[in-house]
Amino acid sequence: MHKSKKQSTHLPLFILVGVVLFILSNFIEELRVSQGTTIAVYVIAISSIILLTGYSGQVSLGHGALMAIGAYAAAVLRLEFNLPIILCFVAAVLAAAIGGLLLGMAAARLSGPYLAGTTLALAIGLPSLANQFPILGGEQGREFKVGPPDFEPEVVAAAEPLTFFGNVLSILDKLQTTLATGAWPGASPMSTYKWWFWIAALAALISMWTVRNILNSAYGRSWRAGRGNEVAAQLAGINTARSKVLAFTISAGIAGLAGALLAMSIGTVSPSAFPLALSFSLLTGAVLAGITTLGGVIIGSVILVAIPEIADVVAHRLGSSESVTTNLPGLIVSGLLILTVLFVPNGPVEQHRARKAKHEAAHSSTKK
Amino acid sequence: MQLLNTLLIGITAGSIYSLMAIAFVLVWRSTRVVNFAQAGMALLSTYFGYEAVSRLGSFWIALPVAMIGGAIFAALVELILMRLLVKHASSGPIAGVAPIIATLGLLGVIKSVVTMIWGGQDLRIVAPISNNGFTINGETLVFSPLKLLVLVVVMVLLIMLSILFQKTNLGLALRASAHAPEIARLSGVRVDAVRTLGWALAGAAGAVAGLFQTVNGNGNFSPDSIEFSLLLVSGFIAAVIGGLDSLLGAVLGGLFLGISISFVLMYVSSGLFFIAPFVILLIVLFVRPQGIIGVKAGRRA
Repeated sequence: MHKSKKQSTHLPLFILVGVVLFILSNFIEELRVSQGTTIAVYVIAISSIILLTGYSGQVSLGHGALMAIGAYAAAVLRLEFNLPIILCFVAAVLAAAIGGLLLGMAAARLSGPYLAGTTLALAIGLPSLANQFPILGGEQGREFKVGPPDFEPEVVAAAEPLTFFGNVLSILDKLQTTLATGAWPGASPMSTYKWWFWIAALAALISMWTVRNILNSAYGRSWRAGRGNEVAAQLAGINTARSKVLAFTISAGIAGLAGALLAMSIGTVSPSAFPLALSFSLLTGAVLAGITTLGGVIIGSVILVAIPEIADVVAHRLGSSESVTTNLPGLIVSGLLILTVLFVPNGPVEQHRARKAKHEAAHSSTKK
Repeated sequence: MQLLNTLLIGITAGSIYSLMAIAFVLVWRSTRVVNFAQAGMALLSTYFGYEAVSRLGSFWIALPVAMIGGAIFAALVELILMRLLVKHASSGPIAGVAPIIATLGLLGVIKSVVTMIWGGQDLRIVAPISNNGFTINGETLVFSPLKLLVLVVVMVLLIMLSILFQKTNLGLALRASAHAPEIARLSGVRVDAVRTLGWALAGAAGAVAGLFQTVNGNGNFSPDSIEFSLLLVSGFIAAVIGGLDSLLGAVLGGLFLGISISFVLMYVSSGLFFIAPFVILLIVLFVRPQGIIGVKAGRRA
């Protein structure tokens, strides 16, 4: 039997990206930093969809509801028991994973449109439960405040502005100062937005790294096998029902983390933060990313965040009325969704790869 | 009396769900797609109906206008979107989810365009007759002439539909293409045209469901009204309860769902309005996965 060589986990790459993001966050304006937080939240949520839909072949329109479970778990624990933030996030993952386990057990008996419809019913039904339990705070929801730790950053005003071409030694030097004092010389002052971005970006990196390595493990392969041909996978000794439930549980846990982060960036948890439209845009992001391309989640997330801005510019350029302006983003997202499914059904990255492979195959055959 | 009230409200709501479920079943039988844009189509048709009411002043003209508008739109969707979809996205990992994603995208497009044209505010369609309850022996029922009308119109449409399916050549072609498209094609049935017709019928059924859901509520509607999300979910659940393949099943599923929800709201808690359909669906899927009138093939689509 072919023994696969041990695959690299790419840990250094993820750490490098983290350091770059950290440095960047100190030099861009607050609006972009807060958009960065949203992108990070989307990255996490969309990667949970890719794991579930792209690899295990199950469609969920209910990930908005799973995000809500995570967000409520984090907020309630924070308010009622004053748990440390990090434990709140862990609890968010666990709570949503339990929800996903239950849903996954039902889902393993369903497929395709049945599963989509069932999770759709959940997405519409679950947020309304907030009104049933006083601890969840009804329509107003509960607050979820995550502020930066109480230190007064000593901003060194005299430090020269940093250029990206500045030499490595000075950067390392400054990094050391930063680690010691929590402030980068010459950087923008510490703010809540920056703190949120750091948390969200760190969470995104950790979950991307985890998802990537799960997908490349035996689990990932068994999911793909089950998606491709369920009977063949069963003959190969894979318990497809159990592997589907596992995929649902992991995916839900990741979605729960995204939900808690989303709540953090809004400051409150309420039913209106998790509308059906959220579940839809996650699916859109996953399809734009290429439903089986984990790396594409960054493209998908950036597009989702950029579309409202682009739509704004377009609407102003055309001088259109207010109702057009407010609905243009929705139209573009949905339109893109249809166009992508019709013309690049497996995502732009995958499409490019397939075309390249085809081209190379044609090339090598003509050589012979 | 309360029991009777609950039952009658349930039957009225259920008959509207039945119509929506029929729309799902017609589309499923003709193209093996669950059309999540059905609610969007119903919404668009309701706006057609609103335009007709405000221009021509009569609900009775608006109803057929909405039905015809809905049918034409649904037929166009099948002709353009669905055929492209079959051509482009029928292989690879996306194949299983492509129709779901495409119809969801269509739902979003319809909703945005409708909001751009008519605005996001509440519009109002006035019911043709009173929604004040009948009075029997001095007690006022919740059941009203309007609800009776909804029930009667839905029943008439269902009878017309069943005559179409059971007694006409067209109905035979519709059934043949659903059950064995290849054999139907060989016997000279124009399967593609029949598919489009299936979508058109579904569009008309959805239009009636949208209009009645609106007037059966408070008469107000907007692109964001939760009524249409509810119509989508309830119609889908009703269709699944009925087995997704059977028109009779869709009707029974709709009535079952409507009555169950009505009883849950009355006797358990009125706050369970949105979660009740989900729970009922789960129970049905676990207890009787093939649906009330389903073939024993399980839920593998």
